[in-house]
Amino acid sequence: MTLFALTKTQEAGGSVALAAVLAAVGVFLLLPRPRGRFVPGGIAALIAAAAVLGAWLCTTFGNPLPDAIGSALFWFFSAGALVFGTVLVVQRNPARGAIAFAFVVLSTCGLFLLLAAPFLMAATIIIYAGAIIVTFLFVLMLSQAEGPSDENDRVREPLYGSFAGFAFVGLVLFTLYQTSQANVPAEPGQTKPDGRLPAPVLTAEERKVLADAVAKLDAPEANLDGDLGTATARAKRAEYFEEIKFAVAKVVGESRATSTDGSLRARLEKEPARDGKPAVLYRDDPQARDALDRARRVRDANFDSALDDLSGPNPEPARAKLKAQVRKLRDEVALLYGMGELPADNVRNLGLVLYSEHLLAIELAGTLLLVAVIGAIAVAHRKQDKGAAK
Amino acid sequence: MTITLWHFLAVAAALFGIGLVGFLTRRNLITMFLCAEMMLQGVAINFVAFARYHANLHGQVFVLFILAVAACEAGIALALFLNLYRRRRSLDTSDWQELRETGVPAATDDDPLPRPPADPMPVLTPAGARPAPTAEEAARV
Repeated sequence: MTLFALTKTQEAGGSVALAAVLAAVGVFLLLPRPRGRFVPGGIAALIAAAAVLGAWLCTTFGNPLPDAIGSALFWFFSAGALVFGTVLVVQRNPARGAIAFAFVVLSTCGLFLLLAAPFLMAATIIIYAGAIIVTFLFVLMLSQAEGPSDENDRVREPLYGSFAGFAFVGLVLFTLYQTSQANVPAEPGQTKPDGRLPAPVLTAEERKVLADAVAKLDAPEANLDGDLGTATARAKRAEYFEEIKFAVAKVVGESRATSTDGSLRARLEKEPARDGKPAVLYRDDPQARDALDRARRVRDANFDSALDDLSGPNPEPARAKLKAQVRKLRDEVALLYGMGELPADNVRNLGLVLYSEHLLAIELAGTLLLVAVIGAIAVAHRKQDKGAAK
Repeated sequence: MTITLWHFLAVAAALFGIGLVGFLTRRNLITMFLCAEMMLQGVAINFVAFARYHANLHGQVFVLFILAVAACEAGIALALFLNLYRRRRSLDTSDWQELRETGVPAATDDDPLPRPPADPMPVLTPAGARPAPTAEEAARV
């Protein structure tokens, strides 16, 4: 590239445009039509496009060699998704297209696993397996007999269509490149955000402490219910919760201003600057910011005054308050614990987030499903032909 | 350096684009439906990658909603296909091109489809010896 002395942005734009044009030509050659379909040329163009795109990804965003297994799986699944997606687009037979779509879904589920979403992987496989079987039924019921047909062997505007689609992809990739800061030269003494998927923020000991706390908070009834009459019974219960409180506080710190920071904040936060500036995060990734945010919420939910009231003269209202506090603290600690490593407790955390922060959206989704079912019945219902009855 | 967020975003964009090409060009309703689902898969990869990057679960929750919407879409789309198929006995979208805007010329298929190869005539394997015609048989014919 010294020949034309291109800037880095022009080089990136050129690579992306070359990949997009090659892919568009390849798909154009492969799309079904009555005659003139040039399969080897189309496949060669698509392979060339994939090679250009892969090389560009490697040079721009880094060659993913050190994490050998993870990157091998990533390339395997992404190549599977793209190859079978292309097969779905250029395949004449809709039944074979449905099979290719099944492989696209499987590859996507592999990517979900790499991205620490095991529940979504299972849900996607289950739902799309059903969807693909239904599609198969429809193909069997509705598709014509043998021989070429208008709907399978003709396409609409293959040249314009493929160029429009891949021009869109090229623009998205170029925008990605421009926003990724990969083209910004690093200033000395400043780390540039590289989009790397961050390592877990919690250490193994902290995770163990939090898991213990969740387990203890899960079964508070035995320690909350029962007789509160004697001073020893009250003291015993208070001791149980004090223990949890201090264990949690060791990780996240305490809400009172005088007390020390927890180990999480000590590790993730730098010393606050002297002249009133906000504290600088030690680790400058969004996961650390999120973890500190979660830790703050846990800190706020930690037992404060209810424990003292439990030992006081009027234990009954304190008990109710403590119960609510236990539930809240348990949820917050579970969410923080799930941050340590996302696959851990994926289902529990997903459920917590789903039913605590997105409850209205769930109701709306349920309503949408109901409306869709009614609409499908109304659309597919065969109307009585009253004119013929007369 | 390991796999970054941008790798996943790039794959998701490519998957979305392939689905877009299929949706724009193909004429079979079922194939178009599958291509639309593939575009949804690309979007789902985006959401999960951002969820992993920000280390919270909101992205995964969004993917659950995508699944719900995809299920609704599948139900209504297949019901519509049934209805359309009952009227025209075909899944070709161009059968419905009288619904286009006014002033847009109709799409015509100039190129005739190749005729399917006709089934070859059945051939019976010869069995036994061919009888030699006798003199009186020839006279009868």
